[in-house]
Amino acid sequence: MSSGKMSNGGLKTPKADPAPRRMPSATPPAKTNGAPAPSAERAHASYRYFLCPASKSSAPNGAGGDASLERPASSLTEVVAAIGRCHGGAEPSVKRLAGYDRIEICATSLPGVAPTAGRKPRYAFVVDPLGTSDGRGVGSDHAPWPDVDTALAGIRKLSEQGALTLAPGEHLRLSVREVFSATPVDRRKRLKERVAQTIFLAMTVALVVPLVVILTHLVAKAWPVLTPSFVFENPKNNMTAGGVWAPLIGTFYLVFISLAVAAPIGILAGVYLNEYARDNWFTRIVNLAVVNLAGVPSIVHALFGVGAFVMFAGMGESVLAASCTLAVMTLPVIISSTKEALASVPMSFREACWNMGASRWQTIRTIVLPNSISGILTGVILQVSRAAGETAPILFTGAAYFVNVPNKGLGYFFPYALDKSCMALSYHLHVVLTQVKGASPAQIAAGTGIPLEQLQYGTAVVLIGLVLAVNSVSIGLRMYLRSHKKW
Amino acid sequence: MGAVGIDIERLTVHYDGKTALRDVSLTIPPNQIFGIIGPANSGKTTLLKCINRTVDFVPSARVEGLVRVGGQDVRQMSNVFELRRRIGMVFPLPVGLPLTVYDNVAYGPRMAGVRNRGELDGLVEKCLRQAALWDEVKDRLNLLGTKLSGGQQQRLTLARALSLRPDILCLDEFSIAVDPVTTMKIEEVLLELREHMTIVLVTNLVQQARRLAQSTAFLNDSRLVEVGETKQMFTKPAQQMTYDYVTGNIG
Amino acid sequence: MSASPLQPDQTKRSLGGWLRAQLGQSRGLGELAIESLIRLCGYSAILFVFGIFFFVFREGAPMLFGGLNLAEFFGSTDWNPVGDPPRYGILALLAGTMSVTILSMAIAVPLGLGAAIYVSEFSSPRLKEFLKITIEMLAAIPSIVWGFIAYMMLNPLIIEWTGAPIGLNVLNAGIILALMSVPVIVSVGEDALKAVPDSYREAALALGAGRWEVVYRVLFPAAKSGLLAAVLLGVGRAIGETMAVLMATGHATQVPHSLLDRTQTLTATIAAELGETVQGDDHYRVLFVIGILLFVIAFAVNLTADLVVKGVRGKQNV
Repeated sequence: MSSGKMSNGGLKTPKADPAPRRMPSATPPAKTNGAPAPSAERAHASYRYFLCPASKSSAPNGAGGDASLERPASSLTEVVAAIGRCHGGAEPSVKRLAGYDRIEICATSLPGVAPTAGRKPRYAFVVDPLGTSDGRGVGSDHAPWPDVDTALAGIRKLSEQGALTLAPGEHLRLSVREVFSATPVDRRKRLKERVAQTIFLAMTVALVVPLVVILTHLVAKAWPVLTPSFVFENPKNNMTAGGVWAPLIGTFYLVFISLAVAAPIGILAGVYLNEYARDNWFTRIVNLAVVNLAGVPSIVHALFGVGAFVMFAGMGESVLAASCTLAVMTLPVIISSTKEALASVPMSFREACWNMGASRWQTIRTIVLPNSISGILTGVILQVSRAAGETAPILFTGAAYFVNVPNKGLGYFFPYALDKSCMALSYHLHVVLTQVKGASPAQIAAGTGIPLEQLQYGTAVVLIGLVLAVNSVSIGLRMYLRSHKKW
Repeated sequence: MGAVGIDIERLTVHYDGKTALRDVSLTIPPNQIFGIIGPANSGKTTLLKCINRTVDFVPSARVEGLVRVGGQDVRQMSNVFELRRRIGMVFPLPVGLPLTVYDNVAYGPRMAGVRNRGELDGLVEKCLRQAALWDEVKDRLNLLGTKLSGGQQQRLTLARALSLRPDILCLDEFSIAVDPVTTMKIEEVLLELREHMTIVLVTNLVQQARRLAQSTAFLNDSRLVEVGETKQMFTKPAQQMTYDYVTGNIG
Repeated sequence: MSASPLQPDQTKRSLGGWLRAQLGQSRGLGELAIESLIRLCGYSAILFVFGIFFFVFREGAPMLFGGLNLAEFFGSTDWNPVGDPPRYGILALLAGTMSVTILSMAIAVPLGLGAAIYVSEFSSPRLKEFLKITIEMLAAIPSIVWGFIAYMMLNPLIIEWTGAPIGLNVLNAGIILALMSVPVIVSVGEDALKAVPDSYREAALALGAGRWEVVYRVLFPAAKSGLLAAVLLGVGRAIGETMAVLMATGHATQVPHSLLDRTQTLTATIAAELGETVQGDDHYRVLFVIGILLFVIAFAVNLTADLVVKGVRGKQNV
């Protein structure tokens, strides 16, 4: 056995790398719908065996030495034999090598002294079960050995021929390369993926949590005052008692009238823009106007309302002026959502009808509108909730601090004159927040007054409840739409 | 339904800077199947659109020349909707309207003013039978048209086209999106119908024209290359290009 | 023989001739009437936009072309309309609007885009539905309620966290505005991401990319105009907000020097002061001039967003 120069040294037990780097389970990269994730990957393992040529064999040749750090082998052949006992063959007890595992044979000068790691190996060989070397590989990158047993045989042969010499500190590496197992690059990428996904989830949660916190806090604080009488009674005694009925009815007035104006105009305008308008500069300007109208700040709507309806049209501060202002505010979004709903009807339907001699309006009336009405309604309902909630547009055009309204009879349901101002729930919230002194402790103790804070939270909850209820109708309608798709 | 022919004189159509048809003149005789073949973008669809004036819906189109249906200039007709009712159209992609099968076929007549339920019932059955669809849907007339299969929707389109008892039936590459069985059924229907109406069959399947059409016109690159009796066109055409196309050497 | 229009709108004829032609097409007077109504409604949108500008301009014009010193208007931080002499410098208000907007965008843009990416690319269909509904609920909360939240809930929290004497300041307004603008950014951003064809994603995944890699290597470049538009619309929302900032900023017309300073925005100024003015006097008109300024700013932001989106649709064959 001509093993060439090998250094002395005895080495202890071969150790697999401490704490094999266990990677988290692979996340499926593609958008799978409900397919189970693959199971956790095997750790990438690294086994080291030690060689100390100067030492005397602790075990007789051929016997079961383990080439460990404490009892290193004295020749490559011995090491190979030890490795073969550990990893080769087909017994279940054998530590099978698989994807990106590696075996390193390190030479040291003294038993028990681990050589410095991390330097490039003196000799590097590769085992690739799927390599194309058809069984006659030489262990190189291009012509790898097909399995561990062949590799060990090959190394032994090379060492017998004297082609392999390991000085102390040098090592020989045998790596297994298996297709479809994760490379270190893959593992890093998967980690990055998980980090990114967690960050984005955190961002989304950061939006959901405030909503939940806000809603629960509002309801909790308003709870004592949330009784039917709060909703159905008019405000009394300078807002120290009573409820929010008058502002609530006022909001209904404003919303109803403004939608009665805005919805027909908006829907028909949407029909015009999507069905009739040609693609010329004029249409482009109209579309631009719609988009800009949608983006006008609410206070500028208020200024417009004052200038156009209160002043110019002579309506004064009234329900009419405020409703018209709200109508102009909701108009552009109704137009846009109508356009979208109409555009979702495929062009092929229209063409089929035209070719049968139907006119544009007949086609719209019989095919296009009936199949887009739910989408249109969804848009309109969303604007209902917006009209109910906005304060700025009605601030100077018709919202009043207080209007004395009847507590029963027909006037209870229809308290407001169209040419006078009215109370409105959104403005009422502003009022109770900033301008109302609230009930005195004596009044509260006597039960004739409501604590200001409860009044404020109660008003807010009624307003937000109204708005969210209307929005839920819209969402429900949308889900109904989606499940009843006709094409 | 009578014997209505189509005369096309020097028809030129421009869309948006592109010329779709250049100086095309031909005569489509009544009561036969007239085939129009040619590669893609040769202007075949535009020709059909000019016949029933759906080219009006293309905003940038400029049409010059004359198209006469039954002797009348289509552009001088005061009632374009009536013109479209006299011409039935079947498109390449099957279209089932989102109405019941019954309402699909009754749509045209209803828009034209027919209200009598009994009359509509009879019309629906007749057209579905003519379109070889009756047996498959007779118990399911309430089925939504969009839920039928592609081949059934194409026959439904044919039934709709026939519902107004047109003088002229135009088919624009009707078989490209349907299965061979449906294609065969529709071809049989066309052969039955040709005694009662003028059929213009635009197709990219050269063999289909050979099977069905009595006369055939070959359009290439917006020009009319040749027109004549089908047998002649396929065996001894006057133009080399025609010969190359029908034998499959080009296109 | 009645004239037959190829394109009825474009031929010049008498009204009678036109009517006869339309009726000859057996369309009936009713259909004619409704089509005219439709057209009228279509033109109305332009009417309203110009109307808004016109009426606001009309009330503010006398001051704009009359007594208002524009250099002082834009350059001075001294806003004292009730003083003697009255001072109309809006620089402090501009600073207030800008500081609040910038802070809110600094919070809202990363959160909003991140949430849009999560909803669009990483969440399962059920979770996506739930998240979209939540975001819509967030968007539905009226601005006065946000003002309420700022005043009653966030105010004490900020006092607790930062030890400031009062919790109504730039920080408060920034947080509230961020929560108000995020739904806009999320929904427009999600639309932009949805508009990128699935084939782009599938191609990248087939090459071995992970989902985050698909997002920053493929989706961002493809959807960047739509995402930019989403951000711009969020900015527009923040600039134009009135009632929430009215409550949240603390009512002090001064240039804020730190997050904890109180300030006042342009929008809130109008809302707070218009009620105190006499119709037609200088103060009243200057507030309308501020309204004109706000209109122009909003117009510019929306126009930019629209152009950015149009630019995409022009270039890409999406």
